[in-house]
Amino acid sequence: MEEENEAQISNLSTAATEETEDQALIFLDSLDDYLILIQTLSSTLRQGWLELASARHSMGASRVNTALLSLKHRSAATKVELDYHDNAKSPQFSLCKWTSTDDKNSYLENEKVEEDEQLKENMSGLESENEESSLESSKGSETTASPCKTENLKERAKVLSMFGTLVSPKLRASQLSFETALETLVNIANVRSSILEAHAALVKDTKNTKE
Amino acid sequence: MYGFEAMTFNIHGGYLEAIVRGHRSGLLTAADYNNLCQCETLDDIKMHLSATEYGPYLQNEPSPLHTTTIVEKCTLKLVDEYKHMLCQATEPMSTFLEYITYGHMIDNVVLIVTGTLHERDVQELLEKCHPLGMFDSIATLAVAQNMRELYRLVLVDTPLAPYFSECITSEDLDDMNIEIMRNTLYKAYLEDFYRFCQKLGGATAEIMSDLLAFEADRRAVNITINSIGTELTRDDRRKLYSSFGLLYPYGHEELAVCEDIDQVRGVMEKYPPYQPIFSKLSYGESQMLDKAFYEEEVKRLCLSFEQQFHYGVFFAYMRLKEQEIRNLMWISECVAQNQKSRVHDSVVFIF
Repeated sequence: MEEENEAQISNLSTAATEETEDQALIFLDSLDDYLILIQTLSSTLRQGWLELASARHSMGASRVNTALLSLKHRSAATKVELDYHDNAKSPQFSLCKWTSTDDKNSYLENEKVEEDEQLKENMSGLESENEESSLESSKGSETTASPCKTENLKERAKVLSMFGTLVSPKLRASQLSFETALETLVNIANVRSSILEAHAALVKDTKNTKE
Repeated sequence: MYGFEAMTFNIHGGYLEAIVRGHRSGLLTAADYNNLCQCETLDDIKMHLSATEYGPYLQNEPSPLHTTTIVEKCTLKLVDEYKHMLCQATEPMSTFLEYITYGHMIDNVVLIVTGTLHERDVQELLEKCHPLGMFDSIATLAVAQNMRELYRLVLVDTPLAPYFSECITSEDLDDMNIEIMRNTLYKAYLEDFYRFCQKLGGATAEIMSDLLAFEADRRAVNITINSIGTELTRDDRRKLYSSFGLLYPYGHEELAVCEDIDQVRGVMEKYPPYQPIFSKLSYGESQMLDKAFYEEEVKRLCLSFEQQFHYGVFFAYMRLKEQEIRNLMWISECVAQNQKSRVHDSVVFIF
């Protein structure tokens, strides 16, 4: 009988230890993701700022400067939404891009995986410009591109038009870089939320194990 | 064959040609750029530039420096040199020197109009204007609602007035109309400058024709690339190309229908002077195109100094100085952003 009790206690403590280890792994994985995202954000922002400087070098200081930024009242082109799924303690951030209601034809669009992949392809292939030409040719061939991509291209061009309608591809590239940085920031917020959740679970498990 | 410029040029132009050739020898060399590219901070750049002709303009600037400050002070030097030459020049050299600044005047007009459309303060916009393009009534541009008013209230008394005939409409000024106005004005200005140089004749006409034709062709390529994927129609795009240059008229017809950078490349590679420029680029790439064009421009501008007794040296010096200021701007940005590995992406050595 005592042996059975000891075996049960041993099994319970093993299960508790395994659960604690799982929580620790989740926590460490989240932390690793967080650090990678921070590094990605830093390099994306550096790339964006250099591309902006390159656009200024190409187009001239009179065409790319802070005095051209519009002070007119306008709704935000991009919004961050906060969701609490299934009464979870940690919130989920999501980015709603190019949702300006200034234009009657604009509509609400959540961040889509396909568009993320398209943007990531654009960022990685910006040096060759192949992705950009396909993105811009997709704007021209509206019959083949999805409506949301066409709308996004129009919204991007509309926002960039404060520097002129015929802008250098370098300025468009910098816009994409900053857009990617914004997505990365939202991902960082989500990962931070999961880190805090994993940490709280880990602390709770550790306390239970000690008890 | 040229005229007998050697016999008469020095009467009115000899002093200023000597001045501009002296200025040319003060341009930064490859050794200067190598030193600047190794700077760690903007104060290091200031220290290196203090040993050059920019020294007096930067010595009183307090730390921490900003890249825009360096560019402003270097531009001031160019403006001082230009004003000295202008006040010493007689006709037709004075008109030639004034023509060189009309491009900046157009940029300033567009900056004020665009900034006003975006509800910016006029004083703030005036501070951002290029000093070579300033004129007396420039601040009045802010009151115009459309191009007709722009012309009637302000520009009718400026040298840009003749260029407005093609773009006077009563349409309200918006981003697209302003862009079309900018490019239409610049097209008219280039064509007018070209005609003026042709009228001068001799070595000036020969050398300036080549330089302005290159400028027109480069503009055509940039307009094409920048308008890919925008709402600008093919007809509107074709209207923005100048009516001279190596690409006129058949190259323009082909450029007008280009939909991507590779098609532009296909058009330009048919022209032998531009084939080496595009051969430096990989397929689908346009990032290095600006540098390739600047390098070709610098080569042509430097060649103009090989001949005497013409006005092309003044144009060439102004452009070379602007290139030097662009180089300094890029080096400063790379140093300020800690991106020194990218500094050679856009620096064009002059000597």
